[in-house]
Amino acid sequence: MARRADKKSAARVVRAQMAAERRRKRTMWTSIAAVAVLVIAGLIGWGVYESQRSDAGPLVAPASATTTTGETIGSGPVTISLYEDFICPHCRDFEAQTGSTIDGLVGAGKVKVVYNTVAFLDPASTTQYSTRSAAAAACAADGGKFKEYHDALFAQQPAEGSAGLSNDQLISIGTGLGLPNDSFSQCVNSGKFKPWVNSVTDEASSNGVSGTPTVMVNGQVVANPTPDAITAAVNAAG
Amino acid sequence: MSVTTVTGGASWPAIRPWLGTLVRLGLAAVWLFAGGAKVGDLAGSGRAVNAYQVMPFEVAKVIGAALPFVELTLGVLLVVGLATRVVAAISSALLLVFIAGISSAWARGLSIDCGCFGSGGQLAAGQSPSYGPEIARDVGFLVLAAFLIIWPLTRWSVDRWLEGNDG
Repeated sequence: MARRADKKSAARVVRAQMAAERRRKRTMWTSIAAVAVLVIAGLIGWGVYESQRSDAGPLVAPASATTTTGETIGSGPVTISLYEDFICPHCRDFEAQTGSTIDGLVGAGKVKVVYNTVAFLDPASTTQYSTRSAAAAACAADGGKFKEYHDALFAQQPAEGSAGLSNDQLISIGTGLGLPNDSFSQCVNSGKFKPWVNSVTDEASSNGVSGTPTVMVNGQVVANPTPDAITAAVNAAG
Repeated sequence: MSVTTVTGGASWPAIRPWLGTLVRLGLAAVWLFAGGAKVGDLAGSGRAVNAYQVMPFEVAKVIGAALPFVELTLGVLLVVGLATRVVAAISSALLLVFIAGISSAWARGLSIDCGCFGSGGQLAAGQSPSYGPEIARDVGFLVLAAFLIIWPLTRWSVDRWLEGNDG
């Protein structure tokens, strides 16, 4: 009787051990599977991002720009680097407040201004207006009307969260400034300079620029870029 | 497997698996929203990571592109309840990294948006960062993850279904 009970309990222990072993193995394999799925998901993200980049087309810079920096106005000894996004309301305010001061510095031959038209705020419109508008401004640069077009885009800035200006509206602003309809509309519609906008945006990020507007005078950030602060920084640098 | 409580009233062992289900789905929702908000703008996600200035931009771009997909996958794994303990452990590790990142941005006096649920990057002049609430929120999520590390078996989960099949 006692031996029988012993046998029974021994069998129960063995069964329990086997169940525990099965559970341990199952937990291990499900854990490994979950980690593998997470790693694969991360790699997919990287792959998607890389393919988005390479699908954009060849990288060509517009007139007065390089492949990594924006259009340049003026030829003074001091360099002002502006980082602006055409849908950023603070950039419009900055232009309204400071634009004429900068134009004056250019006119006086004191500065060269690099307009890095970055696309940080593509999600702020439903149509990637930041990229489209900066690419359209590059088309205007090839037509010799960058600054006029830049000013016009800030004057007609669409609201954040909207669809932004359509390509047709971007084209009509350009033709209104005297840009030739055929080549300008072809340039805007084909998105010729979108890869360049990406490149300028990336370069800005790798230079530590993470917001717009950002103003640098000879590479030094002007923290509160009022007209006086910029003039002072230019005089100090010159 | 089902336990019938003789005493009637809702005892902790009876409630816990159901509470666990709520916690699991809650944490899943966090990851799905966080990943979903970023997945449409992978370049922006990379810039948000870069704004913390803790790694070179080239690395930040890759992390920023991978992160939304990892977050979405964590969310899906939590919804179905597969390998809940490991997924909760990875969730808490990730949350600790986020908390460390926000704290270090705070300590270095950066003025950025955490980019936790999209956007991110430097704040405009006049906007002040809200590091305290962002950290508090992440600590709250960390509590959810800790619950699942301690009690990973919840109702309506693949884990529990596998357990049941084992007899």
